[in-house]
Amino acid sequence: MLNRRDLLKLSSLTAGSLLLPAGLRPAFAAGEAITIGAPLPMSGPFAANGKFGSMGTAMIVEEVGKILDRKLGYLEIDTEGKPATAVRKVQEAMERGVTMFSGGILSSEALAMGKEVAKGNGVFITTAGADEITGSECNRATFRWSVPTFGAIEQTVRPLIEQLPNAKRWYTITPQYVFGDGLLNAAKAIFKEKGIEHVGNSYHSLTEKEFSGYLTNAMAAKPDALLILNFGSQSSDTLRQAVSFGMKQRMTILLAWASGLEQFETLGPDLMEGVYFGAQYWHGIDSPFNRELVAKVQAKHKMNPNYAFASAYLTTKLLIDAAAKAGSTDGPAVVKAMEGMKYAGLTGEEEIRAADHQVIKNYYLLKGKAKSAMKDKDDYADIISFGKSFQSPEEALCKMA
Amino acid sequence: MNRASLHFVLAALVAIALPLFMRSGTLASEVLIFAMAAAACNLLLGYTGLLSFGQGIFFGLGSYAAGLTLLHTSLPLGAALALATIAGAVAATGVGWLSIRRQGVYFVMLTLAFSQFFYFLAYTFKDVTGGDNGLLNIPRPAIGPFALGESWAYYAFVAVLFLLVFAALQRVASSTFGRTLLAIRDNEERARAIGFPVRLFKITAFAVSGAVTGLAGALHALLIGVAPLSSIEYHMSESILIMTIIGGSGNLFASVLGAGFYVIVSDLLSSIWPRWLLLLGGLLVVVALFMQKGLWGLLERLVEALQNGRKSPVEAPVRPESEGRSI
Repeated sequence: MLNRRDLLKLSSLTAGSLLLPAGLRPAFAAGEAITIGAPLPMSGPFAANGKFGSMGTAMIVEEVGKILDRKLGYLEIDTEGKPATAVRKVQEAMERGVTMFSGGILSSEALAMGKEVAKGNGVFITTAGADEITGSECNRATFRWSVPTFGAIEQTVRPLIEQLPNAKRWYTITPQYVFGDGLLNAAKAIFKEKGIEHVGNSYHSLTEKEFSGYLTNAMAAKPDALLILNFGSQSSDTLRQAVSFGMKQRMTILLAWASGLEQFETLGPDLMEGVYFGAQYWHGIDSPFNRELVAKVQAKHKMNPNYAFASAYLTTKLLIDAAAKAGSTDGPAVVKAMEGMKYAGLTGEEEIRAADHQVIKNYYLLKGKAKSAMKDKDDYADIISFGKSFQSPEEALCKMA
Repeated sequence: MNRASLHFVLAALVAIALPLFMRSGTLASEVLIFAMAAAACNLLLGYTGLLSFGQGIFFGLGSYAAGLTLLHTSLPLGAALALATIAGAVAATGVGWLSIRRQGVYFVMLTLAFSQFFYFLAYTFKDVTGGDNGLLNIPRPAIGPFALGESWAYYAFVAVLFLLVFAALQRVASSTFGRTLLAIRDNEERARAIGFPVRLFKITAFAVSGAVTGLAGALHALLIGVAPLSSIEYHMSESILIMTIIGGSGNLFASVLGAGFYVIVSDLLSSIWPRWLLLLGGLLVVVALFMQKGLWGLLERLVEALQNGRKSPVEAPVRPESEGRSI
């Protein structure tokens, strides 16, 4: 049976069915539904993130229902996790009149889509990780909710050094590409400032699945702390192998860029106990907006919102609020309304910095709990600390065109 | 009308029909771009019997060559496309020269190894290629007085190039060179014994295939404004091979059918069901088991059945005349 979400998706599909003769192509006109594009990896290796992202977007669209006297809908766009497919489908959506997009979990597709949306005078908000999104490749149409690598390291490595004054020797494992280097450079700067000895780093490729060699090198360097700088399934694999090597007993482990609940469910409390994690979002955040969202998601979906769900919900809401404020869905008008916007967000008070379109929000240091200490099935971690750390737009190399 | 002319007319009809029946100029352009790449792959697979996993290399290099030319020089679009074509041809000559030293599974492994080699080159030299983020901001300049910014205008440009390339590939396939490739495919030892320079012919086939694939890669980069790392991944080779096999490796137009089917069906299915790759896998199994001549073979059977005034039974696994014997 079709649920409301499927119906919304199908109606969008019907409106733009691919093989309609050119003369019969539907056009968006005043009075018709306002459609928000949700370009997400619904198939391929990141499909799980895409699924929850889509659920988040669907929920806020259904909740708001209508703005500017027009019905609100959304168009789920399967990017397949491929930048080329993502750009092509965004182009198609823009040709159909969609101007507002929320999505792009992977950095490569988010960067490419941001450029495309900018070309078409739309507006795009993403949660992807690459610093360039609001850094050297920033543009007028693109906004980013997630904290860049600098803030992720500042809010995890720095507080952990302060908590563990005896941890003087750190080893890093880094994916060798721009994102990994961003995290590594930020960590090195803190090590230097705090007089920490960086006893070694292992670079690995983006396609690596076997980390035992890097972990052996790490153990040989006898560090007090292991800083894992990869993400997603790679970070889960690294942590699993590190724990099986008995490294958790010998040193402190920090996984600086964790996905949150969706990752913790795959790791489980036995692996996580005593391990530190950096996270953009955690359902246990004590903010009014988050408490409200958690209650709504529990009531509707019988689950706690994870990062993909919550961030998609919020970023789509930002677009909707901005369009309502601007009184228009035109990209430039929505962009203007979003610049400088302050609001009660998932992580407390949040602000969209006008100069580079970066959302200023908290980043969290979590610590995995023992299974016996968990209050419910999702109570995997405690929040240890949080805060806001951002480079200035100039330091981030953003030159807004 | 001979077969080659018929196939060209069919290709032209496809180029004309796509704007009439498709909503998206971008998707229509992608169909023709991959039709070029699949036809080039077919020259190796169907005509020379070489199952190459190197097509993604040439596609990716074409993307990067065009992107870098347009980003860092003031050369016109035509020059960027020409450089991409040359880059594809040069790389294919090198890959072909080394890979054809071995036959069968070792040849396939060599092309796979080269595919990984070029992928990691692109990944490592991120200052040049953009690494995982891709080469961004590739412009789509006008060609002479014709602006190509609008998707259907770009489609028209791609369609003209597609027809030129298709005609050129047909010319190659029907030339003495092309017929000799078939002879090499069917019996390499005999072709060598007759006195044909088999290695040179294979390398030349690689070069032609690489040139066309490089051009397709360049057109794709211009289409989406970015040369992503995924353009040079072995998955790209895999996709181009799947298109070629689905269409059928018997003639060049079959590749157009295969590319069109793959691109459009993938797009439709991915909009409906996130696990659409399962269906695609199932389809490949069906093609491999029951439709070894691909979609073109199925069409031929249908036409034949209609002409005979009776329905065609389920197609038996017939070994097609033009199917490659050795790899």
